[in-house]
Amino acid sequence: MRNFLTIILMTITTAPAAAQIGNPAGFAPDTRMQEPGVPADHQTNNQDRLFAQLAAAGGLAEVDLAKLAATKAADARVKEFAQALVDDHSDANSRLKALADAAKIPLPDTLDADHKAVRQKLDAAEGQAFDVAYIRSQIIAHQKTAQLLAWEIGSGEDAQLQRYSAATLPAVMKHLRMAQDIASALTGQASREIVAAKHN
Amino acid sequence: MSPLKLVALACVVSASAASLAAYSDPLPPDLTYRPLPTQPLSSVRANDEAQKPKVMKRQQNLLNKRYDLADKPIPDARMSGGQKKVQDGVRVRLPDGVTWDTLASMSPTEIRDKNLLPEGFRPLPHVKQATGGQVFPQKAIDEIGKQENRDLKRFDVDFDLPDHLTPEFPPPIFLTTHPELGDVSRGELLTIKNFYEYMNGIITPVQMEGLRLLLTPFPQEEFNQTEDRKVAQQSMGVACLDCHANFHTNGAFHLTPDVRPQAARFRLDSTSLRGMFNQQIHGSKRSLRSIEDFTEFEQRTAYFNGDHVSATRKGVNLPDRPNQVAMMAQMQNIIDFPPAPKLDPMGKLDPAKASEQELAGERVFMGKGRCGECHLPQTSFLDNNMHDLKLERFYNIGYTANDQVAIADGPIKTFTLRGIKDSPPYLHDGRLLTLADTVEYFNLVLGVKLTKEEKDSLVAYMLTL
Repeated sequence: MRNFLTIILMTITTAPAAAQIGNPAGFAPDTRMQEPGVPADHQTNNQDRLFAQLAAAGGLAEVDLAKLAATKAADARVKEFAQALVDDHSDANSRLKALADAAKIPLPDTLDADHKAVRQKLDAAEGQAFDVAYIRSQIIAHQKTAQLLAWEIGSGEDAQLQRYSAATLPAVMKHLRMAQDIASALTGQASREIVAAKHN
Repeated sequence: MSPLKLVALACVVSASAASLAAYSDPLPPDLTYRPLPTQPLSSVRANDEAQKPKVMKRQQNLLNKRYDLADKPIPDARMSGGQKKVQDGVRVRLPDGVTWDTLASMSPTEIRDKNLLPEGFRPLPHVKQATGGQVFPQKAIDEIGKQENRDLKRFDVDFDLPDHLTPEFPPPIFLTTHPELGDVSRGELLTIKNFYEYMNGIITPVQMEGLRLLLTPFPQEEFNQTEDRKVAQQSMGVACLDCHANFHTNGAFHLTPDVRPQAARFRLDSTSLRGMFNQQIHGSKRSLRSIEDFTEFEQRTAYFNGDHVSATRKGVNLPDRPNQVAMMAQMQNIIDFPPAPKLDPMGKLDPAKASEQELAGERVFMGKGRCGECHLPQTSFLDNNMHDLKLERFYNIGYTANDQVAIADGPIKTFTLRGIKDSPPYLHDGRLLTLADTVEYFNLVLGVKLTKEEKDSLVAYMLTL
């Protein structure tokens, strides 16, 4: 997974400027242009700014909850999944912070209300009930993150934030599939593929 | 208020707060709905025009990387109007180090893990995914401009496929009510200007009124009078038959109205309306159950991306169901498939007329190739169902290509194969350029391991349909 993140970072830094071409109808009115039609580096619209904040809030919460699960989970697969999230997100979160800082977007540094509610629920659960509650919370979190990243790819103006989203999305989809497989193994819920054995 | 009542009230308030938490999901407000433009048209247009060369170059690079776009027709195989040759050969490029046979011998998981699924088999992005919308081929823009003085040229994008890989234009029109007349198009594109003259005496009054409505332009997402448009001048809009030229298709494309967010919407290749009378479900994703439903709802979907809020702002036309919609449907329901003289009345090849190779192709189609399990000859090569080919078994979803996020296709409607040589490109998004491409695609997806001879015979067979 470390290698994967290295590839992500290389993709972000080496992709040509034409790799992202947004819809000018959504550019911020105060956008400074590098050339006609191409915003200068770190020029953001409302979607970029909201994306950075929501993605940071999600990333923060996923690490927080994953650290809890890495020690509290009963099932080895859940622990392994949680540890993978801690590893992946720590790097992804710092990359997002660097891009947000460059674009002067303030990011949250504490859990938001929704994630606090999830945390409280998980604090109160034990054993298999904790595992199931944690994995289900991560399925929802990754579904929402996938939507959020795709939204930024389609609606953003800051090409670097969009490239970050494009580079991050495959990992999010992979984590979603892992979480679905684990949930399937824990609860017997339906999954799209028979791959659960891989995560034993 | 008594202490007891206060406690009860406090309980109600805290219960409300707890349940409210579930409804305060912090996701962006324009994930589903179309955002309003943030800038005036003059500024948007200047930026769009400046971006256009880069946008087109990027798409050409993607197409060239995925396909061989050369003009290489099959000798002696023409589309039904006789104007255009059918293109030959497999055009999807293979990844380095594999052949079609070695690829077909690998498991889906192995292909996925080694990232060996040819890019041309994957979802094809719109030329400008972030904006999307209807894009017309240049021939259609020119002809409608000439006949109606109506401009369908966008300032932000052009059509992306070469002309020889699209349907003939204008295509012929065959009527179920007058098989003896053959093509009644006179070699012209039907428009609001000429339809009455050409169809007078051939069709009924209600069909004529339906045809008039199908040729009448109405406001559309990119072609309207507001600042949220992609055409230079205020536009009268588009007509149904601007894409479904002569009730067939001119290859104009769009994004599906049925998926959000924008980046995950798949490209839609305009479908032919030939044989509508035998289709029981409509729309690649929506499975609407009648042509009346579809005709009525296209004003929400093809016209406005499935966003009725945006439609209201730009001036939506809602045809009257018992009168206008019924007449539009009646007109569409008399459009026949092109003649297929080698087929018998049940859709099977007549051995007295077909070649050995064509007959061999039919056997593969009905047997080893498994094509006939969904494309049933007896029901116009349809099964009136949607099927999930589960292509994502072969590749990792979630990557981005030209701003399109590749997600799983999910169930898609079975399309008819009658007259199939007339309607390249193939699949719902036009990702396959030739009939030979479709054979390789299904050979892999269905795992049927056809030989070279069997593949060639399938192409020969499909040319007879």
